[in-house]
Order: sequence, then C-alpha cells, then structure tokens
Amino acid sequence: MRQPGAYSKLLSGGVSGKTGPHSLPLARIKKIMKKSSEDVKMISGEAPIVFSKACELFVEELTKRAWLITLQGKRRTMQKDDVASAVITTDIFDFLVNLVVEDRNNSTAAVAANKLG
Amino acid sequence: EQDRLLPIANVGRIMKQILPPSAKISKEAKETMQECASEFIGFVTGEASHKCHKEKRKTVNGDDVCWALSNLGFDDYSDSLKRYLIRYRDAEGERANQNKAAGGGGGSGGGGDRDDEVDAPPLPFSFNLMDKRRN
Repeated sequence: MRQPGAYSKLLSGGVSGKTGPHSLPLARIKKIMKKSSEDVKMISGEAPIVFSKACELFVEELTKRAWLITLQGKRRTMQKDDVASAVITTDIFDFLVNLVVEDRNNSTAAVAANKLG
Repeated sequence: EQDRLLPIANVGRIMKQILPPSAKISKEAKETMQECASEFIGFVTGEASHKCHKEKRKTVNGDDVCWALSNLGFDDYSDSLKRYLIRYRDAEGERANQNKAAGGGGGSGGGGDRDDEVDAPPLPFSFNLMDKRRN
C-alpha cells in the first residue's frame, strides 16, 4: 500500500517539488555515467538519484548566470553565447570551456575566452 | 546519438522554471545546456570513480558522488545533496519496513554493491512521470 508520507518529505520545493521525485531519467543518467570512463564498472542505485538532483542544481546555476548575461545585453531570449559566456566567467565551470568554445576565431564567447586566455 | 545527452524537454523545463515567466530560451541554448549537463555528469563520475578505484571498491555510490562534487568545487550542491540522500535513504528504509510489515518479500536491498544490470530500486511514485521515452 502506498504511503504518501514517505516520499512527500523529498518533495521540498524547487523543481523536484513540482515534477515528481526526479526530473531527469535515471536510466539515461546511468548510461552517461558508464560512458564517461572505462573505470566505471558498477553503479549503486543511489548514484543516478544523486545526479538527478545535482544536474538540476547545475542546470539551474548555469541558467541563472547565463540569464544575467542575456539581461546585460538587454535581451529577453537566452542565446547559446550567453551560456558560453557564463561558463567562461565561472571558475568551477572551467571543465566546460572547450565544450562551449568551438570556434576560437569568431563568436563573442571565443573572444571572451581569448581575453581570459 | 541522443543516448549521451539528457532529454532536451527535461533540461528545458528545469531552465524555464528557474527563470522569470517572460524569459525565452533559444533552442541552441537548450542544446548547449544538454551538452554541458552530460559533461558535468562525466566529469564528476570520473572523479568519483577514481576514488573508488584507489580504495579498491567496485561500486560508485551516492556518497562517492557527493564527495566528488565537493572535491571539484561544487560544495553548495554537495551539502544540499547529502541532505537529499539522507531523506531518500530514510524513505527507502520506511518503505522496506512497510514491505516487511505487510509480510511481503521483495524490498530493494538498499545501497551497497549492486548488480550492473539492476536499475534503481522501485519507488512509490513512478519517476518516469515526466520522462518521455523516445526509442
């Protein structure tokens, strides 16, 4: 018999509170984890669950930072370059720099990256 | 090859919910976010997996992921997640107790080493609610 009390504690607001316990598919997360390295052999049931929340927090943070750049440009539509700029200007997102800057000769993101170089 | 990315609908939804209602997000921005999220998973998993390897453990568990996040500078996430993990484990414990009380077998066996083929333990809610499978 389902006891709603057991899980409602997890729904503490934010995105999870609105969309159900996990807003990202656990099986997909697990696939991505396994592809990341040959070292990864076994993954506990909890790990994808932790990642579903962690990814949510990550996307939220990067989105908020990108949005600030969108606003600085006096726009209301977030563009790819806004996300790229947010990556470049945030230390902990350094691991993403090569991902977002494909063309180092063009695009505002590339120029910014070159300046920080 | 969409298997290596999180679904764009889910990613887009998370982005939309954190922004003001009037905000718009270009498709390319969502796609970039998808890529970044996958890279994030890979990056953190690599760190967690490396720790397990050094400690001669075969299974990457929730605590390893929390540790890796903290180690890579995502301290804020790590604290929030540790609390999330505790509540999840509590809920799992309660569910296991309910199963026992009902005299039923099954149960999830909790954390710890898990067969590679087994997915996450079944949850009272269908967590596939928002997962639009595209196969």
